[in-house]
Amino acid sequence: MMRKFKKAIVPVVVAGLAFALTACSGGTSADTAKDASGPLTVWVMGDSSKNFEKLVEPFVKSSGQKVDVVAIPWDSIDQKLTTAVASGSGPDVVQIGLTKLRSFADAGALLPLDGKIAAYPNLAASKFADGVGGKATAVNGKIVSVPWVADTRVLFTRTDILAASGIDSPPTTWDQLRADARTLTQRGPNKFGYYIPQWDNALPVEMTWDFGGDIVNSKGDIDFNTTAFHNAVDLYTGLYADKSVPTNADFDQTQGFVSGTVPMLVSGPYLAAGINAAAPQLAGKWTVSTLPAADKGTSLFGGSNLGIFTTSKHQNGSLKLLDFLSKSSTQLNWYTINGELPTVKAALNDSTFTSDPLVKVYTKQLADAKVLPIIPNWDGGVGTNLLKALNSIALTHSDPKSTLETFYQSTAGISAK
Amino acid sequence: MTTSLSALRHRSTNRRGRRLTVVIGVALAVGAVVTAFPFIWMLATSVKPQSESLTYPPTLLPHTPTLQYFRTLFTELDFGQYLANTIIVVLIGGVGLLLMAMAGYAFAKFDFRGKQWMFFLVLATMMIPVQVTMIPTYLILNGMKLTNTLVGIALPTLVSGFSIFLFRQFMSTIPTEVLEAARIDGAGEIRTFLLIVMPLAKPILAVMAVLTFITGWNSFLWPLVIANDQHLYTLSVGLSLLNKELAVNPSLQMAASTVMVVPILIVFIVFQRYVIQGFALSGLK
Amino acid sequence: MAVSNVLTTARTRRRTAATRARPGRGRLTPYLFIAPAMLLLLAFGVFPIVVAAAVSITDMNISGLADWHNVNFIGAANYVKLFADPDFWQALGNTAFFVIIGVPSVVLVSLGVALLLNRSGNWFFRSLRAFYFIPAITAIVAISLVWGYLYNTQFGLLNWVLSLVGVPPVQWLSDPVLAKFSVALVAIWRGTGLNIIIFLAALQGVPREYLEAASLDGAGEWRQIRSIVVPLLRFAIFFVTVTTIISWFQFFDEAFVLTNGGPLGATTSISIFLYHQGFQQSAFGYASAGSLILFVLIAVITVAQLRLRRSDVDY
Repeated sequence: MMRKFKKAIVPVVVAGLAFALTACSGGTSADTAKDASGPLTVWVMGDSSKNFEKLVEPFVKSSGQKVDVVAIPWDSIDQKLTTAVASGSGPDVVQIGLTKLRSFADAGALLPLDGKIAAYPNLAASKFADGVGGKATAVNGKIVSVPWVADTRVLFTRTDILAASGIDSPPTTWDQLRADARTLTQRGPNKFGYYIPQWDNALPVEMTWDFGGDIVNSKGDIDFNTTAFHNAVDLYTGLYADKSVPTNADFDQTQGFVSGTVPMLVSGPYLAAGINAAAPQLAGKWTVSTLPAADKGTSLFGGSNLGIFTTSKHQNGSLKLLDFLSKSSTQLNWYTINGELPTVKAALNDSTFTSDPLVKVYTKQLADAKVLPIIPNWDGGVGTNLLKALNSIALTHSDPKSTLETFYQSTAGISAK
Repeated sequence: MTTSLSALRHRSTNRRGRRLTVVIGVALAVGAVVTAFPFIWMLATSVKPQSESLTYPPTLLPHTPTLQYFRTLFTELDFGQYLANTIIVVLIGGVGLLLMAMAGYAFAKFDFRGKQWMFFLVLATMMIPVQVTMIPTYLILNGMKLTNTLVGIALPTLVSGFSIFLFRQFMSTIPTEVLEAARIDGAGEIRTFLLIVMPLAKPILAVMAVLTFITGWNSFLWPLVIANDQHLYTLSVGLSLLNKELAVNPSLQMAASTVMVVPILIVFIVFQRYVIQGFALSGLK
Repeated sequence: MAVSNVLTTARTRRRTAATRARPGRGRLTPYLFIAPAMLLLLAFGVFPIVVAAAVSITDMNISGLADWHNVNFIGAANYVKLFADPDFWQALGNTAFFVIIGVPSVVLVSLGVALLLNRSGNWFFRSLRAFYFIPAITAIVAISLVWGYLYNTQFGLLNWVLSLVGVPPVQWLSDPVLAKFSVALVAIWRGTGLNIIIFLAALQGVPREYLEAASLDGAGEWRQIRSIVVPLLRFAIFFVTVTTIISWFQFFDEAFVLTNGGPLGATTSISIFLYHQGFQQSAFGYASAGSLILFVLIAVITVAQLRLRRSDVDY
């Protein structure tokens, strides 16, 4: 019985692999000379494609090129990328979170753009913010994407609650923040001073930068075994040790801030939008300020870039779309529609844009912000191990020395070039 | 004397019995409310304005109920499209029912070479974890050019070992004489199946129809993986798009969840008698 | 009259029918009937496992998926790495915990509720059934949202109720030990629905006459249930147990949406471990090796159950 079974399997496997091979090898790169007909497919992250469709209406009208926008849920991007790569058929233009850029590039999913962007002045590296333009987001020296939207991290504080505890302005150094957090925790049971999201793998890196160091050494490899990182670990675990930080993983930061349970936290512009939506009555009682500093006040330059899939049959149309999206007016329009910050210098310096006090803080912070190292799978690899190490020291009180040793070993030598 | 004693015993047992029934009824009712409580909370939140659903301490009943989030789902967020797609996926699943009934019938009523190990194979597929199958299945669908189609979404879960097993269980209770009689009368196998077996199989078909409906309706994994086009997303995928994690609007999320659960509940309530009957007659005793 | 008698007669009937000569054209019929379903099962059930077996002896990752030249054969290296991986053992341990806690709970609760619901056929009892079925029909995405809010440490309903009686907030989903129980509870809540229906159906096959005869003889309710009803439900109990074990070995949904395997891996089951390796780390070779192990584990346990069962009916 088993032998018959095995004999039957062989042709099935062969057929199946043949299927798979033809599917995979179907991805020959298209001829730049002529686009195929049909709409451009664009993958954007988020819950709805409506905003993006609104944004590209002028482009569709003026160029006659139709654009099909697909919304991808944030936590499904890994799956979609994998299946797109496996099948050799993906979108034309894709929004790529900076932490995923290397994975996309390594998978061969992104079309190298070096030669192609010369024809489009809006796509020149100098047009974009220094933290993210040109070489800053190149992979293996090649440009495979253009900046799209920026994200950063700033300090949110409930000025009313701080004032009630005798603190008249948001802390400007990490030491001050730690002391203030201790004061605020004493307000009562189930009240805290500061919130550390247990999923935020950028925060310890920001702290390291602020202590004057980096997590990439001079050779371009990942190296956490530095004084600056040790200081960051002390700060991170110290906040927990002070009992200033809630220890449960399911803490809701919006509700926490709105209810006053946590009057200080580091987050991005999306939180400001969330607070305004959830609690408009809090206007005037909270503010944002630049990240606390130690030696420096460097924060995260996050966000997403846009890339063209290697298998795209609409390369010319895609480049034209990228050019449209990199216009200052488009970028400012997108901020109005969707609340995501521009990456184009002209937009960031636009006076109407910076007249909004919140925006003033964001743009000031972006001027002193770095991108995370462009390594494969930051979130799932180094980022996860970083959080595991820190959280196990802070939450389960594992031995710091051995935990950190294991962490250093698991990350040493990864190249970020 | 014995008669009156046993009659007495019977009467007092009856009274005890009725009291016990009432107690059990109350206990079950309490259990039912506890079990359904998350659902009740979901319904209540779906009609609360956003600020109310975020307050702490939480309130159960809304102070100013509103249907605005239901409206938003269908006007701003494409849920009408997702609903239509979900219904189509469910209908395609109906075809799978026919195929599985055929297979169950063959396993139950025929003897043929390889039947043993093929049926074992059917059972074995029940033990395969879904994460294993994802990429190879995607490659197959891609090779068949079925990615980004509703058929492609419905295909991987069209047939299941569990259902074939149940069909076979049921079919084996159909008396063979009926089939033999039809054959002697000259009816072909297909006619026998369609005109005699299927009508007799109504109870199990009802069960399977309800179960298929539920699976198809809640399907999340395959629509997400296979649909490149947002226009092909189903309700489950649409709901997960609302997991912004950042700007929390529980009312909207609960409204979407309600849209997902209520239709199935109605289907179940209408068909529950047939569902239980179907399981009963399938010989699960 | 007795259940086993009916089934024996049916078996005999089937055997005699089979030994009768079949007309030539009927030979292909069974194959034609099972073909479509079997093809689908082979394509989407068996073939993937075979592919997984093949991939498990390679080092395939995302760049390998894009270009087959990047894939190398590495023999049993993935398996060796798996057995040396503490996260893998943690996942195995968690899965064992879930199966041991979850399966008896689901079976006992479903059986108990079915017995109670079967007490009376009146409209009230029948309408209660729908309530118990609700968890089973709710999409997992919806469940994650609702239970996520209920369990939330600061703002959840459960902790608020507890705070009314002075209990400090419980970290339902953040405490490594408690999180396992919280997640298991949601899965149990969800898993009983269908099984209650199955047991209700099976209970309809218990002849009333037996119970009445027993009660006339003086047997109490509980005695009747123990000695008559439960033995007659043997097959249903077995079926529910086997299918529940299979599904709890693949425990995924609840832990994924509520805690994503956290905190610190406390609720990571094998399936979640595989998902993380496969899709987030793109370590397809490694994940495939793990899935093979899971599959073999499930198969061995299921076959063991089938062997152990002393039955009076054979299939």
